[in-house]
Amino acid sequence: MTELLKIEWLKLKNYTAFKVLAIFFCLGVIATNYVVYIINREVVQQVPVAGMVSFSPYSFNMTWHTTSYASGCILLLPAMLLAILITNEYGFKTHRQNIIDGLTRQQFIGVKMMLALIFALVATVLVFLTALVFGLFSGTSFSFYGIANVGYFFLKAITYNLFAVLVAVLVKRTGFAIGVLFIYMGGENFISQLLWGLSIKLKSLGEADLGNMGDYLPLNAADGLLEFPENTVKSLSKTIMPHDYTWLVFALAIGYLVLFYFWATRKFVKSDL
Amino acid sequence: MVVLSVNNLSKNYKSVKALQNVSFSVPQKTVFGILGPNGSGKTTLLGIVMDVLKASGGTYAWMGEEGNAAQRKKIGTLLETPNFYHYLSGEKNLKIAARIKGRGEEDIDKVLQIVNLHQRKDSKFSTYSLGMKQRLAIGAALLGNPDILVFDEPTNGLDPAGIAEIRELIKELNRNGKTIIMASHILDEVEKVCTHVAIIQKGVLKTVGSVKDVMANTGSDTATTVLIELSADNDERLIKILQQMPGVLDINLVDNFLQVTCSENITAAQVNKFCFDNGVVLSRLNEKRKSLETRFLEITGTKSEK
Repeated sequence: MTELLKIEWLKLKNYTAFKVLAIFFCLGVIATNYVVYIINREVVQQVPVAGMVSFSPYSFNMTWHTTSYASGCILLLPAMLLAILITNEYGFKTHRQNIIDGLTRQQFIGVKMMLALIFALVATVLVFLTALVFGLFSGTSFSFYGIANVGYFFLKAITYNLFAVLVAVLVKRTGFAIGVLFIYMGGENFISQLLWGLSIKLKSLGEADLGNMGDYLPLNAADGLLEFPENTVKSLSKTIMPHDYTWLVFALAIGYLVLFYFWATRKFVKSDL
Repeated sequence: MVVLSVNNLSKNYKSVKALQNVSFSVPQKTVFGILGPNGSGKTTLLGIVMDVLKASGGTYAWMGEEGNAAQRKKIGTLLETPNFYHYLSGEKNLKIAARIKGRGEEDIDKVLQIVNLHQRKDSKFSTYSLGMKQRLAIGAALLGNPDILVFDEPTNGLDPAGIAEIRELIKELNRNGKTIIMASHILDEVEKVCTHVAIIQKGVLKTVGSVKDVMANTGSDTATTVLIELSADNDERLIKILQQMPGVLDINLVDNFLQVTCSENITAAQVNKFCFDNGVVLSRLNEKRKSLETRFLEITGTKSEK
């Protein structure tokens, strides 16, 4: 696998889109969190109701959660990059040439999955460091409480990445793949909101508390684990919200990951290239 | 020793039968041409034996073993189009190919020299002309000095000098003991370069064997004839005279010359003398050797196949 990764690195290191998207992502994580920090300080804290108890999202305990949640929104970048890298191979027909030159099909798709994992790990390390730095600057004392959210961030990252791999293998063309990624994510979010509304309604009518059904969809499962950080407004609304079946959402998120992995692998190994 | 054997290979694309029960063997140290019109299944066949396409039926074996990745590393292949990373230089592309093949980088300079790309090795692949791309692909196939080479339309996009160079390269590789499997729709190319040929049409193998055998094994009606092309100032008068010549079987006016079919014992010199003696001076005289082209057309029919 190390040799395969070195070959991938030869493909990546001179690719401008890779450098640009990687830099955008790194700056994006820092910038997003900085903006959230500023908004909280300049806007939210100025509104007396929200600030009933002094609320600082980047203090320890909170910082792991806030940073993970805020950074989640730019996970589309590494996913997009992966989709571009894989569809490029189709475009250049190098996916054929790599096989002809002596990779097995399993190796070809396997190393792309490994890239998906590495991108997710690097993003997670970056989020960890960002959370740590913001936390240390908050002047509160260090704590690992809430670190699970960084784990959820990783799960979300790897889910997005493997989904991008699957889309790339299925549609093969760059523009089309990116279009599908955006449209699917938008579409799933929309349906997820509808299901969320339905879940609340079912509970309020006393019929059933099925949890937030919006979280049961492929990408929203990983999303759903990484909830909006606790605040006063959210605590107040707890009574009307459906029950939180975290274990179920977690199991589904893992299940979808496995599905993406095997579907994409099978597709590449079995079909004409 | 058989380098490649294919047994009853078939490939269907929905209702289209791209290959139908094709079987043949490629002997070692030959230049084996796979000849067929456009869309006859040549690339499909090579795609299957290189594992980028899945056969609908049948099997193939390289050196007696079922196809696998380790074998492919030892075969130099150019399939259909030159496939490289557009944003990388020629040299960097070859580095990737060499790494995949598990070869060192020491060959890269050498193959760039062979295909005349050394001066442009640092230019991006996307800036290469069609002919340069093709030459880079041939160079990539030569990495690691493989004993088996598979070339799909190797002279595609090359200028006349480039075509001659590549043909000479293929012959030289063969002289050095390499086995070359080459798909082409250019008859002349196969005739000039190959020792063996398989002719396929619409996915069906029509004939296979050494070029000599395939050409000798002619159809009954054309077995004992010589084809001579000639013309004179006055073609009508020429036709009248030729009709009187013993041994002349058929005369056709083709474009601006006559195509004369004679019995086997007639030579061009005899025809020339006969015409001259009868007061006609020929402005063109060309004895057509029986070529693979004639043979090919006999086998596949004269209309281009859709």
